[in-house]
Amino acid sequence: MASPAAIELSRWQFAITAIFHMSFPALTVGLSVLLAVVQTAYVRTGNPLYQQIFRFWKKIFAVGFGLGVVAGTVMTFEFGLNWGVFAHAVGPVIGVTIGMEVITAFFLEAGFIGVMLYGEGRVKPRTMALASWMVASGTLLSTTWILSANSWMQDPAGYTETAGQFHPGDWMTILLNPAFTYRFPHMLLAVLISASWFVGGISAWYLVKQRRAAFPFARRCLSIALGVLAILMPIQFYYGDATAGFMAQHQPAKLQALEGNWQTDNNGYNLVVIPDTGQGKNDLRITVPHLGAVIGHDLTGEAHVPGLLQSPPDERPNMWSVFYGFRAMYFIALAMFATALAGLVLRLRRRLFDSRRFLRWMVWMTPAGVIAITGGWITAETGRQPWVVYGKLRTADALSHLTTAEAATTLTAFVLLYATLLAIWVRYIVRTVKAGPEAPAAPILGKEAPVA
Amino acid sequence: MLEYATYALVLLSLGMYVVLDGYDLGVGMLSLFAKGEGRREHGELIATAWDANESWLVLAGVALWAGLPGVYATVLPGVYLPLIGMLLAIILRGMGLEFQSAAAGYRRGWALLFGWASVAATLCQGLVLGGVLSGLRQHGGSFSGGAFDWLTPYSVLCALGLVVLYLLAGAAWLQDKTEGAARERAGRAGRPLLVGTTVAALILGFGLEIADPEKFRFDEPVRAALYWTAVAGAVAAGAVAWHGFGRRPDWRPFAGVVAAQVCGLLALVAATAPVIVPPELTLHQASSPHSSQTFLVVGVGLCMPVVFAYNAYAWWAFRGKFTQTPEAPLAPLRVRAREARQARPEPGGLVVVARRVLLTVPGIGLAAVSQDVFGGIASWIDPVGVALLSATALLAWLLSDRRDQRDGVFDLDPQDADSARVRT
Repeated sequence: MASPAAIELSRWQFAITAIFHMSFPALTVGLSVLLAVVQTAYVRTGNPLYQQIFRFWKKIFAVGFGLGVVAGTVMTFEFGLNWGVFAHAVGPVIGVTIGMEVITAFFLEAGFIGVMLYGEGRVKPRTMALASWMVASGTLLSTTWILSANSWMQDPAGYTETAGQFHPGDWMTILLNPAFTYRFPHMLLAVLISASWFVGGISAWYLVKQRRAAFPFARRCLSIALGVLAILMPIQFYYGDATAGFMAQHQPAKLQALEGNWQTDNNGYNLVVIPDTGQGKNDLRITVPHLGAVIGHDLTGEAHVPGLLQSPPDERPNMWSVFYGFRAMYFIALAMFATALAGLVLRLRRRLFDSRRFLRWMVWMTPAGVIAITGGWITAETGRQPWVVYGKLRTADALSHLTTAEAATTLTAFVLLYATLLAIWVRYIVRTVKAGPEAPAAPILGKEAPVA
Repeated sequence: MLEYATYALVLLSLGMYVVLDGYDLGVGMLSLFAKGEGRREHGELIATAWDANESWLVLAGVALWAGLPGVYATVLPGVYLPLIGMLLAIILRGMGLEFQSAAAGYRRGWALLFGWASVAATLCQGLVLGGVLSGLRQHGGSFSGGAFDWLTPYSVLCALGLVVLYLLAGAAWLQDKTEGAARERAGRAGRPLLVGTTVAALILGFGLEIADPEKFRFDEPVRAALYWTAVAGAVAAGAVAWHGFGRRPDWRPFAGVVAAQVCGLLALVAATAPVIVPPELTLHQASSPHSSQTFLVVGVGLCMPVVFAYNAYAWWAFRGKFTQTPEAPLAPLRVRAREARQARPEPGGLVVVARRVLLTVPGIGLAAVSQDVFGGIASWIDPVGVALLSATALLAWLLSDRRDQRDGVFDLDPQDADSARVRT
């Protein structure tokens, strides 16, 4: 039996490496689709604007993709390093799912990324577009498989248990498990949305800073980003709500922690709580009365929101992380929804590209999607605790034969390395953005010397 | 039988990894011997392929997890520290490579990071390999030994041996891909490295036998025959590489080294199978249930030809000697004369407030109704409402985008092009 400290440290290690890894696909999946679209537009129209857009986002995509790959390599081994018992138990099910991800998605991305990034001048623009679509399909497929694997852990289905190991029964049920049908569209939309905020925010910055040379570039990108957002945000709310409804049925404790109530006596919606997990009560609670009941589809506003004390003490997740993780995601999502629709209205009124206040707000929204995704995953993963395979395998029982010292050393190493890497990555983005997109070539034949 | 297919899959991925990432780690280590721009060029040489090369390691890891969970769960915690060390080194290496490639000129820090992280990754891989071959204590499918069990004289030797082997592969690759001074240097380094690799292989080969004499059943004729055939193959391939170094055609040393690596791996397998993790964890104990292995082997097997096909295409696209293609300028503009767009004057005060309120209130209402915030009586309300809202947004976006396009909002300005030329 592993020590509690080793378990705690290993959980932190997995959480940090997973969140860090996640923040790269959160941008690169959407960017890969954007790159494929603009490269195709370039092939079809020959307009250098699309080439300019492709080359600019390619710079950020290339580095983000590379870092995502190495951080993802860590994840592949992380399952077995600290969580040997878990790895042995679920390998026959999830190992296979992730194996399929590697062979269908990882390789597809890696195989074509070279052509996509370095192919210019060696292959035709059309081939570059094809390679870009292949990379984009790879990133999307990868999201699909990973969500299938994770959803299976949230709501296991289609297996039999033999001697502490999960044996697959029906593969269709395993891969298309009930939780997957809700969580996959939610996450797919989330990565597209977060990349759109990133692209939109950076484009808005050029307009705010009056970088005239970058105006066509910035307007085109902002237009695409806000268009995608206006279309996807409503759908995302729908799927988010559906996912929460599903979780209320299958993981009641997660929803109880997420609403921030202990007793089942509150019909309001909690904005802020300070939970006392030891005593099972809130030290502070700021509530909008009746709203909780209304959200739960009771129009009289009197129904009580279920509290965490309904779950047995050894099956309660930590209210702090679940409550605030969800609030971070949800409140940001409200801001996103409002911004996207406001952007659409401004657009229709021909004011989008000149309205300074809105554009400045857009710049602030640049990291919104990544933060919301992080909050959502914190809710999903800590809300599932104390289970690693929900209802079947406890996290505390899943640890490898590991000393606390080992876990502490490697956790420190990961934290230091990832903090440095994150700082450098952000600095790289800032520098690339400041340098701006490449200037277009002169419209004349382009060979004679410029007239100074 | 099925577990042998799984085992073959793991070995194939591992072999592909050693062959492919081996040269690329070797090039990384050799970059430390180059200077300035030369160092940067080493990175650029493998920039197109390192993602794909590293994918084989991921596949090896995952195939092991899915097909032989007993091995995965024993080996990973067993070689915890060196494996994490390898992962950290791989991150640092990717970081050095990506930022070096993204920087405008040569950056000493990134180049050195790339080189030294390649060394560290190789050493850790050797320690992992040596640690596993020296044997790991396990009980019922999970590791039960100590934190430093992997650290044995044999694993240290293995780490050094792997460095020499990867250096050799790197040098062979460099001869294939470069011209001039770099090619000559690689050609000269090849033979001493080949000698070093042979010595390391002999020491490690005999060391393995001394380490665990009972486990290697060379009295079985099939095993002995396979083993010696593989060894003979490795020797022949080594001879080809020896002959090819510093001599055209330039692809020959690399081909020889690759063949020698493959034969070496086969020899190791022939000597140890079906024991996977010495001293006693065998294929049969460690494998996952049949339904998992079937899915894995069939699924991966069906994808493999496609994977090989597009990887081969990517190789072909970057075939021949490495040349740095400077990025061509953007395609020339087609200028169309347009009238400048005039911003309409903004009306003042109360009108704005009133309009904003009038837009916001129905906006919130529309969103709330379509999202079924108030609890519809029919289950079709929210999907249909959401679809309508999104479709309206799409339509509005398409119309306004078309209009902006007509107005020339997205047209590149030829003036910007000219002024940029003058500045540079």
